[in-house]
Amino acid sequence: MLQDLLSVHKAEFKDHTELRAQVNTTKRVTLLLGNMVSNSQSEGGGVSARVYKGGTFGFASGAEYSPESVKNVIAAATDNAGFMNTHVNLGEKPLPQAKAGKAELKTKVENNVSQSMLIDFANTLDGIITKKYKNLTARTVIADFLGMEKLLVVSDGADSHWYQPRSTVYVFMTAETSDGVPVELYEPFSSHGHFNEIFTDPNLLTNKLDELYEHLMKKREGVYSKAGLCKCVMHPDLAGILAHEAVGHTVEADLVLGGSVAGHNLGKQVASDLITMLDVAHTFNGKTCPLPIYVDDEGVTAEDAVLIENGILKGFMHSRETARRFDVAPQGNARAFAFNDEPLIRMRNTVIMPGKSKLDDMIASIDDGYFLVKTGNGQADSTGEFMFSVELGYEIKNGKLGQAIRETTISGVAFEMLKTVDMVSDDMVWSISGFCGKKQPITTSMGGPAVRCDINIGGR
Amino acid sequence: MSVMTLNEIAEYVLASLKKAGAEKASCVTARGRKEEFNIEANKFTLLRTLFDDALSIKALYGGRKGVASINKLDKDSIDKAVEDCITLAKAGTPDEAEDIAEFIENKNFNRSIGGSQMDKLFTRTKDFLEQIKDEYPLIMLEGVTSAFSSGRGVYANSNGVVFSDESECYGMGSMFVAKDGEKSSSFNGYGESMLSLDKAFLDMGMHRALIEESVRSLDTRMVDKKFVGKVIVTPACEDMIWDTLLDCFMSDRSLIEGTSRWKDALGTKVADSKLTMRSVPHHPSVVAGERYTGDGYESFDADLIKNGVLEAFALSLYGANKTGNKRTKNTAFSNIEVVAGDVALADMIKGVDKGILLNRFSGASPSPSGDVSGVAKNSFLIENGKVTDALSETMVSFNIVDIIADIVAISKEQATNGSSILPWCCFDGITISGK
Repeated sequence: MLQDLLSVHKAEFKDHTELRAQVNTTKRVTLLLGNMVSNSQSEGGGVSARVYKGGTFGFASGAEYSPESVKNVIAAATDNAGFMNTHVNLGEKPLPQAKAGKAELKTKVENNVSQSMLIDFANTLDGIITKKYKNLTARTVIADFLGMEKLLVVSDGADSHWYQPRSTVYVFMTAETSDGVPVELYEPFSSHGHFNEIFTDPNLLTNKLDELYEHLMKKREGVYSKAGLCKCVMHPDLAGILAHEAVGHTVEADLVLGGSVAGHNLGKQVASDLITMLDVAHTFNGKTCPLPIYVDDEGVTAEDAVLIENGILKGFMHSRETARRFDVAPQGNARAFAFNDEPLIRMRNTVIMPGKSKLDDMIASIDDGYFLVKTGNGQADSTGEFMFSVELGYEIKNGKLGQAIRETTISGVAFEMLKTVDMVSDDMVWSISGFCGKKQPITTSMGGPAVRCDINIGGR
Repeated sequence: MSVMTLNEIAEYVLASLKKAGAEKASCVTARGRKEEFNIEANKFTLLRTLFDDALSIKALYGGRKGVASINKLDKDSIDKAVEDCITLAKAGTPDEAEDIAEFIENKNFNRSIGGSQMDKLFTRTKDFLEQIKDEYPLIMLEGVTSAFSSGRGVYANSNGVVFSDESECYGMGSMFVAKDGEKSSSFNGYGESMLSLDKAFLDMGMHRALIEESVRSLDTRMVDKKFVGKVIVTPACEDMIWDTLLDCFMSDRSLIEGTSRWKDALGTKVADSKLTMRSVPHHPSVVAGERYTGDGYESFDADLIKNGVLEAFALSLYGANKTGNKRTKNTAFSNIEVVAGDVALADMIKGVDKGILLNRFSGASPSPSGDVSGVAKNSFLIENGKVTDALSETMVSFNIVDIIADIVAISKEQATNGSSILPWCCFDGITISGK
């Protein structure tokens, strides 16, 4: 656990200063057709300081974490802030003050996640897959652990000590079509917590793996989707990435300042009134979210950000700097991935709120369209035009599921596509397995219900 | 204890691993410094200075591999990493394909450029900002970074291999959109590595052309209806094609799994005869190209596809041992050169009746089938041999194996960004669809 070598400097800060010590620990085992192609662990940590002066920041970091190195990074960051203030001289007002406080650790920092746990789990799961699923041509099992510990001291606002353990198992299955073309599906199992707490028994994953295998066998017979605009139902597994890519990035205030189309839509109807979307700080419906953020890396106590309420665009996600420019209060969205990264505006637990419809009724309501079940990657754009991949989907014909489709991509313009949403299911699914990329990677969590909408689909 | 040099650290690590029972071991260690200016939304926001250390060690213990990485270079941290690495290896599974490079010839590389000129880097960055404001007032620089990186790295292994590399370079990257009232273009970006600050950022490679095209993309149209046509992929977008080939058909994973559609194709024709694709870390246009691989071999330029024939896979030592093929002469996933063709870009465009000039592709991760689909971004319609309107909400779908088998044309012109050297390529048989 990180020792506090930072607080002693708090009284010395002259300008707005953030001082952060951090350690990221990863462990990973990869089995490729049973071959252990990776068996690794890494630890990356150090200390960084960021100093604000007249509208620009100076930042410095070092891998060593000692009383001397802390002094050095403060001095270097202060020098950099001075250089920028002298050479650029924006003459901006100070950053908005944040509520003072101190957030203590809410999750115990433990280093007892052994590599053997990951190896044993991966080997057992690989054995189950080999024995049970006969028509696979390839398989990959990955067991992964990421622990992030941060100790933050700020000149004004809340100091904090935060720890986030995330454990993930990925299973990739590959089979061949009748003409020998490989098709692949994967399932991520991921949760907040230590590996030994989350993955107690590989057999507990088999129900989901049975489903994955069944889908893959259908995908082997899959057909190309018909390119063009179509009516579809997105499975709750896709709603999270819809929230993240289609809207989330568009309403990050740094991208709004950078030209995002959301800038002139504040207060306007941008979605069907069935859509309400939040970026949740730490607690949802009384339960801790998959990625609880209590204080961000600028020392701002985290609160939920309402992005869309009943179809109306209500707000953006902010750092202290963009909050100053928009004259609003920051809500704790500034986060950094590694000790040597500066905080950027990032999503936390971005969620579309559930509605009242039943998924079965939504599928039954479509004569000719698609049920889109699993996704991979996605990307947003300043125009609001987003895309994400569809790794698994089915035709819907006369209200019933038809043939599986091959991999494709869907796209749309967020604030147009969301207006076509006319059914939202009453259930929801969270996902925390991936990383979001924006200068730095970062862990994010996303969730939502199934939605029925019109969307542009790639294909033949 | 005084601060150890990188070579001393490497020697100490290898001796410690051997003492702990490793039959083979390797070590990569580095110290580096980076200074970086940042611009957001047309304003300077940040100057940052990073001091970074790195140590990655690999041990083979009873044929079992363990890899531990840390970013501390003090003795206590190194001792713990050595202990962790052995613990990992002991817990692993034996694999005869695991190995380290044999001794051939040790070398020291030095690509220093005499240190940084931070005032000049600041001036170049400021000039770029002012030039954009003057020449392209509709352009919003969403984010710009300009940086100077320097560092020294050492690779050593228990077979006596020792390489060191000292390097320095500048780099810049920009993300931009055009914005006019309520209209926004798609974002686009450009990045380049360089050894000097002689050239204005705006005049580098395709930078100015992409910025001008963003301004032209404020007004867009969709394609009228679905059609199958030609697509000219520009160097700004072309990595999408070559990276997919490398990932899906030539990589360790695809060949060990056996999912590569080219697994039995070495020495046979897999692409149009016009295609020659190489990995060229020593190319004069490449800045800070790889000098030795992670496996411990000196890096050389390598042909991957020559006149359409698959010459080599992109295999590591492990991948080569596992599949019975040769390892690649370098790491192969960067510094790609596609050899120029014999058609002028202007003539290539004239030869397209209906198609797209594709500048950016936002699409799904490549699948082993070779099927690719995604959105054409920052792209333009080509009609009757002329580039006409900017496009929006336009999707392209194709199978990559099919389209490279019959390449319409490769341009005489190439563009470089300090990392790759690519021409414009025209492909046919691509499904292009709007709403």
